[in-house]
Amino acid sequence: MTATLNHRRLLEIAAYGLFIVVVLAMPAFMDAFWLNRIGKYLVYGMLGIAISLSWGYAGILNLGQGLFFGLGAYMVAMSLKLQSYTSLQQGSDTPVPDFMLWNAEPGAVTDLCCISQASFLWIPFQAQWFGLVMAVIIPTVVAYLVGSAIFRLRISGVYVAIITLALVLLVRLLIIDAQPLTNGFNGLTDLGWLTINGFEFDPYLVETYYLIAGSLIVVLLAARWLVATRAGLILQSTRDDANRARYLGYSVAAYQVFFFTVSAGIAGFAGLLYVLSAEFASPTFMDLAFSISMVVWAAVGGRSSLLGACIGAILINTIEATVSESEMLKEAWKAIIGLLFVLVVLFLPRGLAGLSQDIVGFFESRRGGKTAAKPGIAASEAGE
Amino acid sequence: MADVIFIGLSLASILLLIGLGLTITYGAMGVINMAHGELVMVGAYTAVMAGIYLGVNLLVALPLAFIVAGGLGLLIERLVIRHLYGRMLDTLLATWGIAILLQQMIRLEFGLSFFDIHIEGLGPGLQNLAIPAFLNQAWMIGDFTVQPYRSFIILLTIALTVVTWFLLYRTSLGIQVRAIMRNPQMAAACGIDVKRVSAYTFAYGSGLAGVAGVMMAGFKTVAPDMGSSLVVDGFLVVVVGGVGSLLGTVAASGFLGQVNGLFATWTNDILARAIVFGLVILIIMWRPQGLFSFKGR
Repeated sequence: MTATLNHRRLLEIAAYGLFIVVVLAMPAFMDAFWLNRIGKYLVYGMLGIAISLSWGYAGILNLGQGLFFGLGAYMVAMSLKLQSYTSLQQGSDTPVPDFMLWNAEPGAVTDLCCISQASFLWIPFQAQWFGLVMAVIIPTVVAYLVGSAIFRLRISGVYVAIITLALVLLVRLLIIDAQPLTNGFNGLTDLGWLTINGFEFDPYLVETYYLIAGSLIVVLLAARWLVATRAGLILQSTRDDANRARYLGYSVAAYQVFFFTVSAGIAGFAGLLYVLSAEFASPTFMDLAFSISMVVWAAVGGRSSLLGACIGAILINTIEATVSESEMLKEAWKAIIGLLFVLVVLFLPRGLAGLSQDIVGFFESRRGGKTAAKPGIAASEAGE
Repeated sequence: MADVIFIGLSLASILLLIGLGLTITYGAMGVINMAHGELVMVGAYTAVMAGIYLGVNLLVALPLAFIVAGGLGLLIERLVIRHLYGRMLDTLLATWGIAILLQQMIRLEFGLSFFDIHIEGLGPGLQNLAIPAFLNQAWMIGDFTVQPYRSFIILLTIALTVVTWFLLYRTSLGIQVRAIMRNPQMAAACGIDVKRVSAYTFAYGSGLAGVAGVMMAGFKTVAPDMGSSLVVDGFLVVVVGGVGSLLGTVAASGFLGQVNGLFATWTNDILARAIVFGLVILIIMWRPQGLFSFKGR
């Protein structure tokens, strides 16, 4: 038994190792354009991790993960917008986003303090570090407040899904409505680049790719470590039977809030990285379809495997990018995704990760002696 | 003020029209059907196609759309949903896949557009449905303008609600459906063919979505993605009203429709929708079982 366990563990380490090597080796095979694209998909992979953490490990189906991604993206985009030449060349001493001037009342003071109502909220974002820090803090705090409210009331299952779904659509509408502050539908575009110690992270540079890839690897390993800790194990017990965990004396709500918050923080961080790579932030991040897409990626990859969900997200998006060269194929691909998703839910509830585990398990049982579990299968295999 | 109430009423009737089908499928079967909006869309396209190829108007399209969407619902139930009973969140995900599939089927003209064959009335573009002339002329009662089409929607919604109530509470099939709502195992033990009744229930709920689609087609442009925002509204109504409660769905759609209409006149459409979402979140947190609910399941 211990032999099999060690074997499994070894295989898991090998899978993680292989993934990390492939991600790091990517720049050797790609031009700048594709590297930038793959970088974005790595960010989606991070979203897959966040979904797996909350859905697969905590049993909380969050249909509003786009809220945290979007908040993270907007925070960092505000800072980068103020660094952009479009904000610096507005004839005022301090940077002012161009869309604020377009929306301003005639004769308004062209300064962040008072060009429009609430525009003063932008003032601290003149410091780049503020946007970067807020990109993780704001989603985390919002998730903590929302999670506390939901889980302390012992709301679970489908109601969590509906509340989070309504929440992301609510915030999306507020952002669209606050046109003078957020540029509404159009979102924040023409952003500057992240600059650290005078080095500019041009989205098409290999350094930017490594920044994203490194972040992904750190998040992946940290999440993997987290679910194996005592807290992670207790969390999984609350997923399997909340009442029994409660009888054993654990505060179910506390664990749920904690992991909901961590998952949101990861999504916010992913939003930050996405803006560095894509150079915009828009309300489409908070579309219902995007939030559900994340769940689709995680489900196809394997909801209860962090690496599986991550690879699922990267794989689906990479395939989508290669087929979307032609408009027709792109539409057909969407149909295939729809079909694939139905089939995965019906036949592969544990996703690709579950499938690969089954395959490994099958070969193990074959190698572990033909006298073992399934002689029938072994015999038919031998016959081929 | 009468204008505002009328706007609220007509918003409410659309919410109810969409929610009516959902409350049946969700309440009776525990299926979160994310493809419900797409069934509405299919109903709308049925009306458009019927107008082009059969030359019939909207009134004739109503039963047609009911049959088409209902048949599609039956197919979906047989192929997918039947295998997922008791896995509520999985039905949500699988039907989301179905929703995308249905959208793409219309957009790609059932895949024929790959072979450069085009069907008039389908495809990615927008379609329009002409409203019969007698539903198009506004008339006045005193200084209050009556919009006949909106009034027609409200009347039809009331009629459908009454029919649904009658089916649920005055027929033997309805008794079986309500028994399944309360406790499927016990219903099965009493000799009710749960699978068959569930399939019919799902088909009926889908048919109602198709009818809703015809009505939507009359005042909105018809497009492949017109359904995706509707399903959210429908769900909020159903959850707020209370799962499987016809009265709750009626009350919730009336309430949310009026709130939406009221705030839309005070502020704007976007903020009004945001306020509705906020209100719904608060109501769900306060009473997850919904405003009107029975003990069961």
